[in-house]
Amino acid sequence: MSGSYGTFSTKEEERRKRTVPDRALIRRVYEYAQANKRNLQIGVTATIAGAFTGLAGPYMHAIAIDSIITPKNLSGFIWWIPLFAAIILGNYLFQYLQTYQMRIVGEKVVAKMRDEMMEKLQVISLRYFSEGEAGRIISRPTNDANTVRIFIRVGLTSILVDISSILGAFAIMFYLDLRLSLLAISVLPVAIVLVWRLGKYSRAAYRRTLITTAGLTARLQEDLAGIKVTQACAQEKETERKFLKRQDENVKATIRAILIGSSYTPSVITLRLIGTTIILFFGVNALLAVPPVISLGILVAFIEYQFSYFMPLVDLVTMYDQYQSAMSAIERMFDVIDTKVEVVDAPPERSIALQ
Amino acid sequence: MSIAKPLLDYAKSLKPQKGFAQSFSAFKRLLQYHRRYPWHVAAIVVLAVIRSILFSLEPLYTSFIIIYVIGPPTNTSLLMGYLLVIVLAGMGYAITNFILIYVHGKMSQYIVRDIRSEYYRSLQTKSFSFYDSVSVGDLTSRATVDLQLVDMFLRTWLGTVLNAVFTTIVIIAIILPISPTMTLISIATMPLIFYFTTRLWINTMPLFRNMQLIMGRLTSYIQQNIIGMKTVRIFRREKDVVDGFKEVEDIYVNTAITAGKIQSIYMPLGPALLTLGATLVYVYAGITLGVPYSALAVEQIGYLILFVRYMMRLTFPIRDVSQTLGTWIAAYAGLERVQEMIDAPRSVEDMPNARDVRIEKGKLELENVTFGYVKDRPVLNKVTFTVQPGEKIAILGATGSGKSSLIYLIPRFYDIQAGSIRIDGTDIHEFKLASLRRQIGVVLQDVFLFSGTMRENIAFGKPDASMDEIVQAAKSARIHDFIESLPSGYDTPVGERGVTLSGGQKQRITIARALVGNPRMLIMDDSLSFVDAKTEQEIQSAIEEATKTRTTLIIAQRFSTIKTAEKLLVLENGSVAEFGTHEELIAKDGVYKKVYETQFVQKASAILRETGGS
Repeated sequence: MSGSYGTFSTKEEERRKRTVPDRALIRRVYEYAQANKRNLQIGVTATIAGAFTGLAGPYMHAIAIDSIITPKNLSGFIWWIPLFAAIILGNYLFQYLQTYQMRIVGEKVVAKMRDEMMEKLQVISLRYFSEGEAGRIISRPTNDANTVRIFIRVGLTSILVDISSILGAFAIMFYLDLRLSLLAISVLPVAIVLVWRLGKYSRAAYRRTLITTAGLTARLQEDLAGIKVTQACAQEKETERKFLKRQDENVKATIRAILIGSSYTPSVITLRLIGTTIILFFGVNALLAVPPVISLGILVAFIEYQFSYFMPLVDLVTMYDQYQSAMSAIERMFDVIDTKVEVVDAPPERSIALQ
Repeated sequence: MSIAKPLLDYAKSLKPQKGFAQSFSAFKRLLQYHRRYPWHVAAIVVLAVIRSILFSLEPLYTSFIIIYVIGPPTNTSLLMGYLLVIVLAGMGYAITNFILIYVHGKMSQYIVRDIRSEYYRSLQTKSFSFYDSVSVGDLTSRATVDLQLVDMFLRTWLGTVLNAVFTTIVIIAIILPISPTMTLISIATMPLIFYFTTRLWINTMPLFRNMQLIMGRLTSYIQQNIIGMKTVRIFRREKDVVDGFKEVEDIYVNTAITAGKIQSIYMPLGPALLTLGATLVYVYAGITLGVPYSALAVEQIGYLILFVRYMMRLTFPIRDVSQTLGTWIAAYAGLERVQEMIDAPRSVEDMPNARDVRIEKGKLELENVTFGYVKDRPVLNKVTFTVQPGEKIAILGATGSGKSSLIYLIPRFYDIQAGSIRIDGTDIHEFKLASLRRQIGVVLQDVFLFSGTMRENIAFGKPDASMDEIVQAAKSARIHDFIESLPSGYDTPVGERGVTLSGGQKQRITIARALVGNPRMLIMDDSLSFVDAKTEQEIQSAIEEATKTRTTLIIAQRFSTIKTAEKLLVLENGSVAEFGTHEELIAKDGVYKKVYETQFVQKASAILRETGGS
């Protein structure tokens, strides 16, 4: 519409199928990170190291219970305390590096992409800016860039931390006790299927809210662009009524999405506790067997590790959405950067000055 | 001067100030919105208490298993009962948690809806002066992007805060009777955690606020660049635009990194301190342990495990509170931007004694009308003239002479500062705004159509208009034949997904829209200057037909319009320079004659070279 612009086409954008594979997009984003390669290397290493040192706690506690406290062998504290303190300190340092370095990478990479978009927008054909398209273009260096910014800052590190935590917890569990480990992960397949299945519904509901939100935005934008007409015709009541109706639809869809979105957490939490009771049941029996198959410290450590692989699992599923929308945003941003320039200025030595 | 200079100056002028008190008052204002949903709040509090209690049961019963089942003395008959409690408590926790998230989410949606509705309503009543100074994109993003930030905070904040408080209370209530000393050691680090969280908040909040403010401006900068791309190209300012952008963006990136540095120092401190506290508990338990392998020692170890596991569990609520503070920082800036607009003065409102007045004849009298956008800088100064019913007055004047301001005063798009405007002898302030505006047809300078059909657009001012009225208006505006020629006629959609209209066609639809209520008076800002001869003729014909019997004020750019007007009003620096018929003014040998000879006579096509009347 004349005089109005904005995120009009978000609806189509959200529905549009992505054409570029994730791998290609990630590789290109990685190229943008080349200028901050060191930050990225330090950041990723610190993230993984942070996840691993974070897992050391339950194991250190198991050692304290089994080898120091139960036999009242207090001299063990002489090495245990400094070691544990070092791990805590290390964990703190890694997390510090992770947050700081990944922030630098995220901000710089997105700034660079945004700069290139701005540069490109100044030279591509004016046809690109035809009416109604403006909103779509504007959302790329703004909304899309912000999505990617937040993803690199939060999403990417979360995914790294989650995967490292899950793998690390598995490694420690299998190292401690094979049989109990198999029991601990027995609920895992069910959990994965459940989380994935229900997660799908939740994502679909979430996407629907995006569409109604886009509709609401479009309505708002048009109402505001035409506000002078509305006032001139004294139709404020009527436009307000229409707007509130649209808004109510959006509210309903969002509440529904919240309901569906949180519906899988009860089953996941219950599954986690079933896992805990399985470990406790078999663990207590193994502990009371003659001779004992496992120690008390290890039993407690298992319960904790089971906890620490379940939480990241749920987290990963929620990250999937962020990942998807970040990929779409990245694709749209490259779409601008890759637009062909139709009219190119002649180089200065060949251009003709008009007298 | 660089295009981005004002933006750059703005970004540089932002000092990280301690917005503590401000943030607090914004929070209080946000709390006000919660008052409408007391049942939701009550449900959240109750559910949070239950959730915290159920959350604490698993570690407690695990320790019971260690103490009473494993022993010594060993008693495996208790095991199943304890496990059952753990599973049931877990399920109860899961369900409570689910309900809480749902109720909380529902409340947040209602509150966001209330804020957005208030925002929308406040915008509906703002005067034209307000809209002259803001951009639609900015206003929209306040109601969407900024409110989304508020939504993020509202969705979980209360539950998160209550969770941290209640879980801490429940845990302390359980462990304190078991061992006061160990409890003290466990919670010794808590004041430190509290202190560091506060420091984090105080140090980063102003930075995040600045980031958001800069990003808001940058977004409008990008918008303006994209919308005005043609102009940028014509004046070859491309490099300027990008360089300016980069400079401001640099400030943004550096602020973000500084904030990141502060966060990276403080954020991992909480969990580290809790783990440290747990270590001290181990040392204390080791030293005070009774005879190894005795029942007493097992009890002590069982409780030691309980203490430590509780400490570890507490890292989650603490981490969540930290994150909620983060979302508050963003929400605060967003909320501030929304409320800034709600609180902006609106200036045009119904007077207390306003009533519905019918305009019978359409006689218009202006007496010593003075008006200015800024106080003491009048755009119009003591303007006095009278228009007889049915007369057409063409208003002429240079850019900035106050033409648009003058005609927009009549439907009260702006309010006059002194003097009076009367219609049929009644002061316009005695009219209800809606009553006044419905009886004055207005054609704005900026041609705007809503998405919808031709019929909806024409009937916009009178949604219950009959088809006859619509067709009549379209005929008068000389657009009926065109609409009829379309495959779907009056039901043809307009705009992005509909038929593409020329500037002249749009203009005539807006004229039809102004005519649909058959108003006695008409106000037209006809500044469409750059049109071809055919379009001009079409518009001209529409204007002539539309203004036949109506009292009309029209800002004229074309001689053809001026020719058909009964009287001409020449504005100069906000005052009436000349007022009278064409012949009278020519005879007067003043400004009009000069303009007439230079503009209209010498240049046959007679289009004033001005793009925007003011």
